[in-house]
Amino acid sequence: MSLSIQIQKSPDPRHAGVVTIKLIGSLDTETAPELDRQMVLCLTGPVNDLVFDLAELKFVSSAGLRLFQVARKQMVARGGGHASFLNMQPQVAEVFTIIQSLPGIGVFKDLEALDRYLATRPRPNLWPGAQK
Amino acid sequence: MTLKLHATAGEVMRAVGTLQQFAQALGAPEASIFGLALALEECGSNIVNHALQRDARQTFQVCIEHTGGSLVIELRDCGPAFDPTLAPARSPNVDPEAAPGGWGIQIVRRYTDEIHYAREGNENVLRLTKRLSLPAEEKKLINQPKPSTDP
Repeated sequence: MSLSIQIQKSPDPRHAGVVTIKLIGSLDTETAPELDRQMVLCLTGPVNDLVFDLAELKFVSSAGLRLFQVARKQMVARGGGHASFLNMQPQVAEVFTIIQSLPGIGVFKDLEALDRYLATRPRPNLWPGAQK
Repeated sequence: MTLKLHATAGEVMRAVGTLQQFAQALGAPEASIFGLALALEECGSNIVNHALQRDARQTFQVCIEHTGGSLVIELRDCGPAFDPTLAPARSPNVDPEAAPGGWGIQIVRRYTDEIHYAREGNENVLRLTKRLSLPAEEKKLINQPKPSTDP
């Protein structure tokens, strides 16, 4: 099993600072370190909203869930940033339910729902470490 | 089927892949395969990361069997004695960086029917059992003659 990671900044100026990380395949003990590395690189830029698109994530273990928690914590530490999930599949959603790790993390069934949320949310303009 | 594995994440996932193929060949439901794969990933990772300290020279063993309508996964390692069945449930409010671990055993409990730990000599032996409802067995049950109700 492998993991493909596609990171995309939103081209929509209304969604500046929104970065989507699409995960395809398996997020497990072997592949989690690569996502960790790529998240670190990604978060060196001006990211206000980190969105994980899980439409094609087939498998996630606690190694991956831990990274999601870390991402949420880092976004909060930026002062108003958020981590969200999009298109979560039922088997993966069940794993989240088991460990009750969703509090504080937005979950959206599709892109339309996420767009509605982003349109109404106040937009902090953050660079890492810029806000105290 | 028995696998001898080195203490690396890649080897854990090799065992998971083997388990998935084994369970698919049996005709096990996808949900059961997903859960068993997750349980094996969690237990194997625990052995690699904690019992064997990611020392790739160290090895552990995974045995996969279909017996008595159940799929049984047995993991053996020579790490320090550790009974994961005694691990308490993790609070959802605990900071994952401050207190890593604890999620794995919750996941294993959810996706297996039985978890049994024993210390045998210098080995930790963990047996995970999942009862399977296989298509062939269902068919066999359907085709069985109904017991007579005659006195």
